[in-house]
This record gives sequence, C-alpha cells and structure tokens, in this order.
Amino acid sequence: MNKPTPLELENLKWIIITSNNAEEVFKRLEEQGIDPVLWGLTDKDFELLAKNFAQIRNQLKITNDLLDKYKEYYEGDLENKDEK
Amino acid sequence: MFGIRLFLIGIVATAIAGGGFYVVKLQRDNAILKANAIKLESAVAEQQELITSQKEDFKEILAANQKMNELVSVLKKDLDDLDKRFNKKNRDVGKLAIAKTESIERITNGASALATRCIEIASGSPLTEKEKNATKKSEINRECPSIANPNYIPY
Repeated sequence: MNKPTPLELENLKWIIITSNNAEEVFKRLEEQGIDPVLWGLTDKDFELLAKNFAQIRNQLKITNDLLDKYKEYYEGDLENKDEK
Repeated sequence: MFGIRLFLIGIVATAIAGGGFYVVKLQRDNAILKANAIKLESAVAEQQELITSQKEDFKEILAANQKMNELVSVLKKDLDDLDKRFNKKNRDVGKLAIAKTESIERITNGASALATRCIEIASGSPLTEKEKNATKKSEINRECPSIANPNYIPY
C-alpha cells in the first residue's frame, strides 16, 4: 500500500493593517494591481488561527506516524522478503 | 461324552477367537491413541509458537505506544512554545504590531512560511539536509523543531 503523497503548500503573504497605515496599504495594493480588499483578523483571532493550524499539524504528524507503524507491522515481513 | 467334549472345544475356540479379536482391537486403539498423541503434540507446539509470536507482538505494540506518547509530548511542547511566543511576559502582539508594523509583518510572514513547511513535514515530506543538520537556534524551524530538526537539542 502506498502512503499518501506529502503536501506541497503555497506560501501566503500576511499584511498587517492598522488604523495608522490603512490608507497606505490600500494604496500600495492598487499600485500593484491587486484588488484593494483584505480579509481581516484581530490579533487575538490571528493567535487562535496559528494555534489551530499547529494542532492540525500535530494531529497530521501523529496520524502519519501511526500509519507508518501499521505499515511496518503489516508489510514489514513483505519488505524483508522483497529484500531477500 | 462326545457332546461334552464338543462343547468344551467350542468354548476354547470361542475364547481363542475372542482373545484374538480383543488383541486386534487393542492394537487398533493403540494406533489411534498414538496418532492422537502426535496431533496433540503438534497442536501444543503450534500454540506455543503462537504465544511466543503474540508476546513479541505485544512488546512491539508497547514500544510503538511509547514512541507515540513521546511524540505527543514533544508536539505539545511545540504548541506551548507557540503560546509563549504570543503571550510571554504579558506580551500584546496587537500593540506590538501597531508600534512596529513592518517588523511584525516581516516576522509574521517568516513564521508563516516555517509553519507551512511544518505541515508539509507532518504530512510525510522528507526532511532536507539543512533541516536534518540544524543544531543551533538560528538554524532550526522554530515553529516545529521537534519534527523538523531531529538533531537539535534545546539549550
């Protein structure tokens, strides 16, 4: 049984917008030809998002390692035979 | 007189025939018992082999569980470290972002790229040589050193 292909993710760019730099940020977006619209998070929600992703990552790692263990258990003999 | 003799001969002949049949039956029973004993010995040996194999399996399962518990514990540490980065010494990331917008934006984007790489690693992506060889704080993936930098020992 083949393992699932590892993820190859795209990096995204965070823009911090405050009451001080809002105009400048939107102006810069327009200059770069990007729609002047942003999806916003408060600092607290950003923290929660970071922690949620860290938890998903941990769960993914655990599940993936568990899969390795099962694979080793059920297919370990087969792999040894193949090597012979 | 002849009748009595004939009767006695009959009894003796019957006794001999009965004895013969009995011996044959005993031999047959003995053969069955021997066959059963061989089967039983073979079954006992198989059971012992199975018990040994189950004991080995149990040891492996315990070791795997132990490793899994260790992994859960180091992953929890990564999560605690993330919490510290946000809240260490009553740090307020929001206020920091207002005061030092550009720096915090740069730090956020750097951390986001590292966190993205952490998810790739967690999904099974092989570690790069740089990740494997990282031993200093400046070289590690601070978002998930426990899974990204196996040779890093926190100091």
